[in-house]
Amino acid sequence: MKKVLALILAGGKGERLYPLTRDRTKPAVPFGAIYRIIDFTLSNCINSNLRRIYVLSQYKSLSLGRHIQLGWNILSSTLGEFITVVPAQQRINEHWYKGTADAIYQNIYLLQKELPDLLLILSGDHVYKMDYMEMIDFHLEKGADVTVAVVEMDKRLSREFGVIGIDSDYRITEFQEKPDNPKTLPTRPDKILVSMGVYVFDTEIIVRELIEDAKKDTAHDFGKNIIPAMINKNRVVAYDFKDGKEDAHYWRDVGTIEAYFESNMDLVSVSPLLNLYDPEWPIHTYHGASPPAKTVFDESFGGGRRGAALESIISGGCVISGGEVRRSLLSPNVRVDSYAQVEDSILLEGVWVKEHVRIRRAIIDKGSEIPPGMQIGYDLEEDARKFTVTESGIVVVPKGFRSR
Amino acid sequence: METLLIVDDEAHQRMLYQEELSDEGYQIMLARNGKEALEKVLESTPDLIVLDIRMPVMDGLEALGKIIGKERNIPVIIHSAYSSYKDDFMSWAADDFVVKSSDLTELKRKIRELLNKKKAEK
Repeated sequence: MKKVLALILAGGKGERLYPLTRDRTKPAVPFGAIYRIIDFTLSNCINSNLRRIYVLSQYKSLSLGRHIQLGWNILSSTLGEFITVVPAQQRINEHWYKGTADAIYQNIYLLQKELPDLLLILSGDHVYKMDYMEMIDFHLEKGADVTVAVVEMDKRLSREFGVIGIDSDYRITEFQEKPDNPKTLPTRPDKILVSMGVYVFDTEIIVRELIEDAKKDTAHDFGKNIIPAMINKNRVVAYDFKDGKEDAHYWRDVGTIEAYFESNMDLVSVSPLLNLYDPEWPIHTYHGASPPAKTVFDESFGGGRRGAALESIISGGCVISGGEVRRSLLSPNVRVDSYAQVEDSILLEGVWVKEHVRIRRAIIDKGSEIPPGMQIGYDLEEDARKFTVTESGIVVVPKGFRSR
Repeated sequence: METLLIVDDEAHQRMLYQEELSDEGYQIMLARNGKEALEKVLESTPDLIVLDIRMPVMDGLEALGKIIGKERNIPVIIHSAYSSYKDDFMSWAADDFVVKSSDLTELKRKIRELLNKKKAEK
């Protein structure tokens, strides 16, 4: 049995998710009502039986650190298992991580301490379910130096990803970073293979590569520098991502507000692409001691109050008291008061929607209080004066909003 | 004239290097530990560094990381009595590793090799 160490890169600023990333790094952004984005990667590790995990943090890491401390204290140190958050320490040199490769290089002493045979390098930015052990088996079977997980994507999205070209034996022959003219699949000219930012490396080989890269003036990035430099001299292979569900291959970068909104809304649909209800692949997270969700009032007379939630995800501690919620996600401890209407929206933890409020196509960040009678998502010009409004008209109310 | 920075905490070692390597025609700068070495590198860029590992104040491997962070083009030879440091990942960042001996022939040869290689790359 090979010794594997997982390193999760969790320093992403997630600038295109602003204002959701105003107070937190991207992996700590809430997702799917009760989770944070990083919960998916961490759960994948645990479900793949990988229990030696370092989470490398950098920007705005308080919220992430607290979440992992409170929610992920589930392993046994006695058995040598750990999930440890490692903040940027400037131990090797005196700057912050310049790129993904530099983040690992600057933590080379962690590898020294663990001396794993293989390194599994992951991003804490993505939402997907994946058995990493299958990928590791593939890596060993192929006798690879590096294995890069890939997923099919529409060609039009090439500018957002690292696009990969392979030969018939899955050997990677090309790596284009965010290309305008990507290499498409031989059989499907409308499809490309993109890197998921999931890598298996032979430890000694990657250490030598990282040192080499540290001595050069590069962007110190796995996608831009390390992998392209290795293609010609090492055995670099692609692993076709499978997530168990045959047609789905669900993997989302949720890098923009639009993508974030759509991925969340998918969970509300009748048969979501991402199944959170699979007992074989539980997604773990922090659970506070919230009381059960509750609806209040069902007055049948004209003008009477009705507390109702339809086609929605409702978390613990929510009280829907005389208001109506449709096709929405409510994180824990949300209150929706009388005559309020919430539609197609994401309400994060502790949001309080007061009487006669109307909200549609909006994301309301943690702890915000929407004052009585306010309308959000109905007059976008008016909304844009106070809030972030995306091109497609999604309104984002920042954390802790108060009308005063 | 090519300048070598020699980093070693033992005074008699430094004297030995100074004598033997001056005879080879190099200009010699000396530092007693990693911290001094780093200061010297920032002051005036040497052509090559010969670096001991076990030293007080700042050891050679820590100094190596910091030197690469500032001046990535200076070749570094680790010169240590302990070959076990070859297993240390950070030692791989050096251009060569010579185990200490009273005979400096190998060290001199490696210095020449690396300096020639550096010239050829220019």
